[in-house]
Amino acid sequence: MKEMDRPGQALRGEIRAAIRTWAGLLLCFLIGAMLAAAGLQGQRELTESGFGSEAAYQAIYALSRDAEEIGWILLEDLNSLPESASRGAESAARELLAAGGLQDADTLGAETVWRYLAVYESMNGPKLSSGERKALTGLNASDGKTFRRQALKCLSDETMPLPAETAEGLSALDGAQRREMLLRQVVESAAAANASYPDHINQLKKSVRGKDLQERAFRMIAAGKLNWVWQAVIGNSRTVILLGALLMLDVLVLFLLMRADQNWRMNVKWVMILGIVDFLLVFQVVPVVYMVVRAFSPENTFSLSTLERLFSYPLNLDALKNTLIASFSTMILGTAIAFPLAWLVGRTNLYGRKFFRALFVMTYMVPPYVGAMAWLRLMNPNVGTINLWLRTLFHLPDVPGPLNVYTLPGMIWVLTTFYYPYAFITISRAMEKMDPSLEEASRISGASPVKTILTVTLPMMTPSLIAGALLVFISAASCYGIPSIIGTPGNVNTVTTRIVEYVSLGQQGMNDATGLAVFLMAVALVILFLSDVVLARKQYITVSGKSVRPSTVDLRGWRVPLTVLVGLFAAVVVALPFGTILATSFKIDIGKGLSAEGNFTTGNWTAIFSRGETLGCLKNSLIFASVAATAGLVISCVMGYLLQRTKIRGRGIPHFLITLGSGTPSVVIALGLIMTMRGDFGVNIYNTAWILIIAYLIKYLMMGMRTVVSAMSQIHISLEECSQISGASWIRTMTRITGPLIFPSIAAGWFLIFIPSFYELSMTTLLYSSTTKTIGYQLYEYWTFTSQPMSCAMAFGILLFVILLNFGLNRLTRGEFSI
Amino acid sequence: MATVTIRHVSKAFGENTVLQDFDAVFGDGEFITLLGPSGCGKTTMLRMIAGFEKPSSGEIWIDETLVSGGKTFVPPERRGIGMVFQSYAVWPHMNVFDNVAYPLEIQKKGKAAIRQAVEKVLESVHLTQYAQRLPNQLSGGQQQRVALARALVAEPKLLLLDEPLSNLDAKLRESMRFEIKEIQKRTGITVVYVTHDQTEAMAMSDRIFLINRGAVQQEGTPADIYNRPLNPFVADFLGKVDFFPGEAANGKIIFPGMGGQSLPYGGERRGRVQAAVRPENFVISPDGPLEGTLETWYYLGDVNDCWIRIGETLVRVITGGYRYGTLRAGEKVRLQVRDMMVFPDDGSLEEILSIQT
Repeated sequence: MKEMDRPGQALRGEIRAAIRTWAGLLLCFLIGAMLAAAGLQGQRELTESGFGSEAAYQAIYALSRDAEEIGWILLEDLNSLPESASRGAESAARELLAAGGLQDADTLGAETVWRYLAVYESMNGPKLSSGERKALTGLNASDGKTFRRQALKCLSDETMPLPAETAEGLSALDGAQRREMLLRQVVESAAAANASYPDHINQLKKSVRGKDLQERAFRMIAAGKLNWVWQAVIGNSRTVILLGALLMLDVLVLFLLMRADQNWRMNVKWVMILGIVDFLLVFQVVPVVYMVVRAFSPENTFSLSTLERLFSYPLNLDALKNTLIASFSTMILGTAIAFPLAWLVGRTNLYGRKFFRALFVMTYMVPPYVGAMAWLRLMNPNVGTINLWLRTLFHLPDVPGPLNVYTLPGMIWVLTTFYYPYAFITISRAMEKMDPSLEEASRISGASPVKTILTVTLPMMTPSLIAGALLVFISAASCYGIPSIIGTPGNVNTVTTRIVEYVSLGQQGMNDATGLAVFLMAVALVILFLSDVVLARKQYITVSGKSVRPSTVDLRGWRVPLTVLVGLFAAVVVALPFGTILATSFKIDIGKGLSAEGNFTTGNWTAIFSRGETLGCLKNSLIFASVAATAGLVISCVMGYLLQRTKIRGRGIPHFLITLGSGTPSVVIALGLIMTMRGDFGVNIYNTAWILIIAYLIKYLMMGMRTVVSAMSQIHISLEECSQISGASWIRTMTRITGPLIFPSIAAGWFLIFIPSFYELSMTTLLYSSTTKTIGYQLYEYWTFTSQPMSCAMAFGILLFVILLNFGLNRLTRGEFSI
Repeated sequence: MATVTIRHVSKAFGENTVLQDFDAVFGDGEFITLLGPSGCGKTTMLRMIAGFEKPSSGEIWIDETLVSGGKTFVPPERRGIGMVFQSYAVWPHMNVFDNVAYPLEIQKKGKAAIRQAVEKVLESVHLTQYAQRLPNQLSGGQQQRVALARALVAEPKLLLLDEPLSNLDAKLRESMRFEIKEIQKRTGITVVYVTHDQTEAMAMSDRIFLINRGAVQQEGTPADIYNRPLNPFVADFLGKVDFFPGEAANGKIIFPGMGGQSLPYGGERRGRVQAAVRPENFVISPDGPLEGTLETWYYLGDVNDCWIRIGETLVRVITGGYRYGTLRAGEKVRLQVRDMMVFPDDGSLEEILSIQT
């Protein structure tokens, strides 16, 4: 109230806050600029030094400390000698350095000479025999001191008796050689105090080659100029530039946001937003943008040569054509199946509606490659089960066929059986939400049920129908599992399989892969944009007065035939393939029936549960998927809070990026990460688990976010406000009210990220390393190289695990959520 | 127009019986209201007439045609009924004209005829200038009128209205009430109207069927039901009423809760009774038989809402607003009773009063 009374003071407070914020922003910006500048300077230093590697700088930094230590020991030894002996030793050292190629050895200061010498000798000095080395390093501190002093005296006076430890190596030498050997031994003895010194020397030897470069390195070591800050900057110059650039960018964005808001008080929510945006910028935007840039300028100048080369190659043109035909056909076929199915299951008195609904939804979470494997077993032209049946049934000659899965139609069929649930789920959700009185109004106006479907239901469903269809299209176009298992053996290439093939070819292949990936990316973006436009126009939200039980259409005479038809469909797309997988997993010879003599084994199952390799992959998958799901959930909750509980400016930016990420085809994400995560852009996670986890996160984060956001949107803010007005703190409100209310969605969100990450194949194929193989990739390897029955056992195991998880989730959330 | 004959209709969803033995005839041109608290079965009855639900037993006739009953079931589209839904159910993908023209198009009427009929009905609901608008560009009240026009355009013999006004604000509700009544009078159509709003029912109906828990409690004209309720539920559901337990004997009812004061009673009931008096039927008058103290009162403009203590009982009295200057809190007043309903006290009152509309 004070501020009300004195508006002047309030204004002054505002101004003070603004000035503080400006100062803070400026400071952060300057820090960012300094980091970037330092990083650039480090980069230049690195280039100019010619060392070529960051490891050299790390070695130089480490050695300059070692050398300083050794130098002090030697100087102490020298100071205890008589003046003439000390001067003699020093001139011997200078002489040796000059002979070694150091032009200005005479002008160096005494201290520098010894530091210099320490490293020089260790790098270039004569070899010590292991006996000598042992004798020297085995001395205790005072004996070592005595030895060095004796040896140093011998440098200027050849008549002095040699210390006992050196006799072996020196007896045959005289003059310069003898002096060098002596110095070498002195250095070795002094260095014995420092345990890590030999490692640092080795590192320097490895990373700095050539006389000139070595001299440069020695000078830097002797000068001791390389402090740890600088060493860290040069050693990680790209990361430092990245951090600096991000900081500057963040400050700039923050400034713009604040200016747009006319609010100069700092808000923590902006930090949340910028944190998420920065993460996505580095791991999602930069890789994809870089990939696009590379596709159009393979040699750092703009050129369409990559695209020209790619698209004049018939195999690639074929792949493009196949991808478009397959995705389009799958879309049409899948939607044509999904709509009547959704209607029958959702709005009629079909027998077993609930069971069918659960069954069709379940196929949504089955890894697509499992379906591909099953259909391969069923429709292989030679030994496919269906083919054998058909031949027996119709007395066909015993030649390949009549069905062949290794063709484009074969692939379309398999894609359809695995992607129609996407449309089914989208359409049934919309159907359940539709106010049934809209249809009743049509009936009472005189329209028959069929006419009602055509004039009311179908037009009302159009937006979700289109959205579902587009989802099927893009999923089919970016699918890798099915084309790689079915298309590759049948020479039916798709864009995704071509990309993976190109990547395996190395550098040139990588360039070509970018060209195809850009095509795929462009298709995905167009689809994403289209479905956004369609859904944005979805204004068909109607007032629903009371919750009426959804009216069901009485199928009457059609009830039994239609139930049989749906049952048949379920048998063909669900029971048949999964049964085949299960049966195959118990076979020894896949060509023979399960009941054939001696063909039954449980060996495949025991094998996958006892092989260390398989279990290791399982462990990897569990860990990677858990980490991705947990990290994804934290971001989802932050996003849920930002989107549903605040009106903060800029909250749409991370939302947009996350949506974009999930719409990006998997192979495109993976390819981008491969090209940018090798350190060139300041992050080096290539061949680590992190690159897989981040890939999963980018692809599936949206699943978790959408769940949490929709849950938050359903909890009216008044529930929280009511808790606060009752005197509860924010934390208490969160733990007692909001938390329990959205817990089911949080659990659901976690599993929605976990499950697809657990069995992911497309990205893993491109990103795995020998230590980060996952269960999905292991299964693929077994299928292609080792044993199909064993691979089927794994596939069925994964299937059971996923169904179990889904069931658990359903229980955990009291039926509110399952996939 | 049409008569609707409902013969012993019952409806159960599984174990749950929602309507029991509904038996009535809705006469030609009548405005019938099915009134009752939510969940009482009134909407189910309406939906059975429309053909969206099948009766578990009983028959429904429209004019001379059996539409539901036994093995016979005429689907809604062939019953020739107009209906307005609570959620309006205006199709969002068609404009106002197309929405209203739909029933005629189904009947394959000629273009010119459709245009003429639609324009006429749109004019009658004052929507002529909105013909080309999409529903989401209309207000709730306008959408409501589109639904009404659509229900009327094919000139059905029977119009069903399912809580059509419950999503409108108070002012609009009142004006729509008159519009619907007006249209009914003009066309002479038979109307079955479902609502839980007693004011709506009173204002519009020729006859009201008051339903509770699946059973008709009373049917009759609004005045009948209001003034001569058959049971405490009916008395309580329509208008305001207070119940006073008493003992009926010797031409009077003695109220133990009012310090033993009594009122004259000429009825036949004896023993424990519940006397029900509507607040507006108490009159403050110097020669009234009851004496109490004016505890507190609220001036509401048109009336004064007074609370008078008689013994341990607090009695609500509504008296004309003009008495504003004459009321004093704490003063002794005497009360006359203009009209009193007397029910036997069977102990069920508590439960009846807890029913919410």
